[in-house]
Amino acid sequence: MSDWDEHVSAALLGTERRAVPPLPGAPPPDGDAAGRLLDQAAVLAVRRRAGLRPPATAAEPVAPAPPEEAPAVPPAAAARLARILAGEQARMLGEWLDAAAARGLRVPARLLPDLLEKGRADRGLRPSIAGAAGRRGVWLALQNTDWAYLVGSGDDPGGGAEVWETGTRNQRVAHLSALRGTDPGAARAALASTWPTEAAPDRAAFLATFAHGLSAGDEEFLEAALEDRGKDVRQTASDLLARLPGSAYGARMAARARACLRAERRTVRRRRQTWLVVEPPHAHDDGLARDGVPFHPSGSFAPGGRGPVGTRAAWLREILARTPLATWTEAFGLPPVEIVCLPVAEAADTGGTGDAGAQDEPDGRGTRDVHIGWARAALRQRDVAWARALLKGGAMVDEPEALADLLAVLPPGERDEAAAGLVRWVAGQPDLVRVLERVPAPWDGALAEAVAGVLDAAAERAGQRHEYVLTQLARLAEQRLSPAVLPRLDALAARHARAPDEPGRAAAALVLTGLTDTLRFRTEMIKELVP
Amino acid sequence: MLGLAPDAASAKAGTGVAKPAKWSGLGCGAGAVWGECQGSGKSAYRAAADLGEPAFRCSCPSRKFPCKHVLGLLLLWSDGAAAAGEPPAWVAGWLAERAERAGRAQARKAVTAARARDPKTAAAREEQVAAGVADLDRWLADQVAHGLAQAEKAPYRLWDDAARRLVDAKAGALAGQVRALASVPRRPGWPGLLLEEYALLRLLVRAHAAEGLSAPLRETVRARIGFTVVQEDVLASGERVRDRWCVVGSRDLAQEQLTTRRVWLRSRSGRSALVLSFAAPGRPLDVSLAVGTEIDAELAFYPGARPLRALVAERHGPAVAAVPDGTGVAALLDEFAAAVAADPWLDRWPAVLAGVRLARDGAGLWAVDAAGAAVPLRTGDPWRLLAVAGGDAVTVAGEWSGRRLRALAGWHPEEGVVIL
Repeated sequence: MSDWDEHVSAALLGTERRAVPPLPGAPPPDGDAAGRLLDQAAVLAVRRRAGLRPPATAAEPVAPAPPEEAPAVPPAAAARLARILAGEQARMLGEWLDAAAARGLRVPARLLPDLLEKGRADRGLRPSIAGAAGRRGVWLALQNTDWAYLVGSGDDPGGGAEVWETGTRNQRVAHLSALRGTDPGAARAALASTWPTEAAPDRAAFLATFAHGLSAGDEEFLEAALEDRGKDVRQTASDLLARLPGSAYGARMAARARACLRAERRTVRRRRQTWLVVEPPHAHDDGLARDGVPFHPSGSFAPGGRGPVGTRAAWLREILARTPLATWTEAFGLPPVEIVCLPVAEAADTGGTGDAGAQDEPDGRGTRDVHIGWARAALRQRDVAWARALLKGGAMVDEPEALADLLAVLPPGERDEAAAGLVRWVAGQPDLVRVLERVPAPWDGALAEAVAGVLDAAAERAGQRHEYVLTQLARLAEQRLSPAVLPRLDALAARHARAPDEPGRAAAALVLTGLTDTLRFRTEMIKELVP
Repeated sequence: MLGLAPDAASAKAGTGVAKPAKWSGLGCGAGAVWGECQGSGKSAYRAAADLGEPAFRCSCPSRKFPCKHVLGLLLLWSDGAAAAGEPPAWVAGWLAERAERAGRAQARKAVTAARARDPKTAAAREEQVAAGVADLDRWLADQVAHGLAQAEKAPYRLWDDAARRLVDAKAGALAGQVRALASVPRRPGWPGLLLEEYALLRLLVRAHAAEGLSAPLRETVRARIGFTVVQEDVLASGERVRDRWCVVGSRDLAQEQLTTRRVWLRSRSGRSALVLSFAAPGRPLDVSLAVGTEIDAELAFYPGARPLRALVAERHGPAVAAVPDGTGVAALLDEFAAAVAADPWLDRWPAVLAGVRLARDGAGLWAVDAAGAAVPLRTGDPWRLLAVAGGDAVTVAGEWSGRRLRALAGWHPEEGVVIL
């Protein structure tokens, strides 16, 4: 027992019960036993403190992080990221990260813990984080299980062909997707080798990767999958077949479609022209179900503009959506632009199966069904000519979302103009926000001008309802609108701020100012990222 | 700038207000910056800041201090948005008022100081303190006579009562040390720790009564008991050291009625210094010393056996970013032992370890130097230090307690400084 330990145990029991241990070289006694114990302890304590050595540890230094390939962002950008992470304009985080990654830059190491913490709560951010966190981000995530999501989150599943045998479902999907990109046949063979033993949800997920590099070689496999036990597998197979040009599936659908839709020369109000006569299928059969059109297609009961669609119309839409669009250009001998302008008439309903009434409504319901079917087909088959034609002459005012989806099919140069047209068309309707939601960023050129006009109009009619619309519009615009329209928005905000004392106007001005602030923040943010 | 914000929400609001479009009449000059901010109300809020102290004023009704308008104003000023000019009447009036108030406070302080210097008052206080210290000596002896074992279940009152009596006896520093002991019996290995603390207090008691101590050691003892040295005396007669001083760490401690900021400095010739500043809770603290920078300055040290506490007497030139010089673990231990030999009550020492790599085990982080010697690190959040170090050798600075290092800052050659 060391001198110190003896003193501690004596002090614990008390000098009333335990004698003061002897200490050679102790200071001269002063006072009672307790005082002597404290004096001796003081000598030992100072010695101990001066001579204290840190405890031994078996901890090994942390393995060095791999060297970074990308440089860190400039200091101003790092400072802004710190502000975003602290909560200022927090919704810009994803854009900041993507913009940094696009310029080949990474987040500086000291901000990584806060950034990785954000990804814990927000799954949507994770791909952006993975893109900008650099190698040190992954290195850090390996040391904290809370951030494990970053490890192996990239597109590259890692490993070689054995991933297909041993990986998790997500890794296997990633592997298959990558393989489809380089060698679709090999991917198909790999899938075929394990196909009967896979679980149904896995089969559907694996089959979906055929969307990459889809070709006629896949037809046989997909046709077989139409007989699969899994409902999702069958649906996926039929969706893929519908996108495959020149397939037997397409021919079957085209035969059904032509039975529903035919051209006819008619004279109406002394004008002789080609009419399209539409007659929705009267009955559903097993063949149709096998080809991916269920008895109740999804959405057939969804309340559209005017109540449920009805099963017959829903079958028609699905059939048209799955029919190769070339069917119509061949059948009518006209280009898509002219076909979408043809008037549509309802055929006299001879079936009378209870779903009657279609012909009683001369309100263009048939036109809508046909155009929606075509729009879905154009989207699925990524047919530029049809998308362009439908956006220009389409009649789907009730379902502008379908048109908005078509914008993605257009070549980038045409999108702004077409979207601007669409925005002007639906301006003032409740659909506006839903349409804009589907128009991807960036909103530039004519589209930006059109959106500014819409904002102006919404601010002008500032009232309870329109304020809500304006807020929603601003919310979308602040993330997608090009900063080029800033001057115009500034003028707008100033004009509404000066407007006479209407409560709605003041609120509108506030929303617009918030929008310009955010756009300015975004502009500066992007500027700072340029090295 | 945002370090001045009373809370995160204010900092956020401040950045929101920091937009030139919202301001009119922005200007700076005469050591102040001012502007009028359009708020939600009819008339604009007039915000001004005296950059010297810093002090703030705003006509808005916010109870936050400084309010978002002042923060926004300072941010704009730091961005260079305020043009130099003559202060308008309302700013000039405020500045004059402040100057006058400062003059009155100075005069009041001088009166108090004079009273403290009055031999009669001083003698009375010496007597009071001596009685308080003697009382503490009896209390310490009681604890050891009855046995420390009872401390494990003792209520907080045991220490608090002793501390109150010391406060009454005007030995404030001593009171604080005694009160802090209440938490010792909850720590592992507490009997040894508690005996060590009691023994050091007894040493202080005896040193206070002892004759023939050297003058510096006498000052150390008096400072530990609660006698303060006024700043003017330190500036007038304290030891002066001019050097390039690196600011290696800063730590705020909120006590009941006072927030203390400890800023640690290390000179290029290896000298250590501690600059203390105080503020009421929620009020801004001194921000003149920024961690990660180096200043060319003359420091005035408070007297003591191992002078550590100091005032920045004079600055020569602006602060520049710099990495402090560091040592290995062995050198740190030697340095601390030498410091404890001079001042046995020394409880914290600024440590700068260079070329250390971080290691982790179940208990926490360690800093391992090139020779393989390791010290345990204490950090609130280890991840930022780990992220910046990335497994490379880094410089880590912090407070060394003799047992572990509370990391306050780290430097990486490429990633730069991280303040913890």
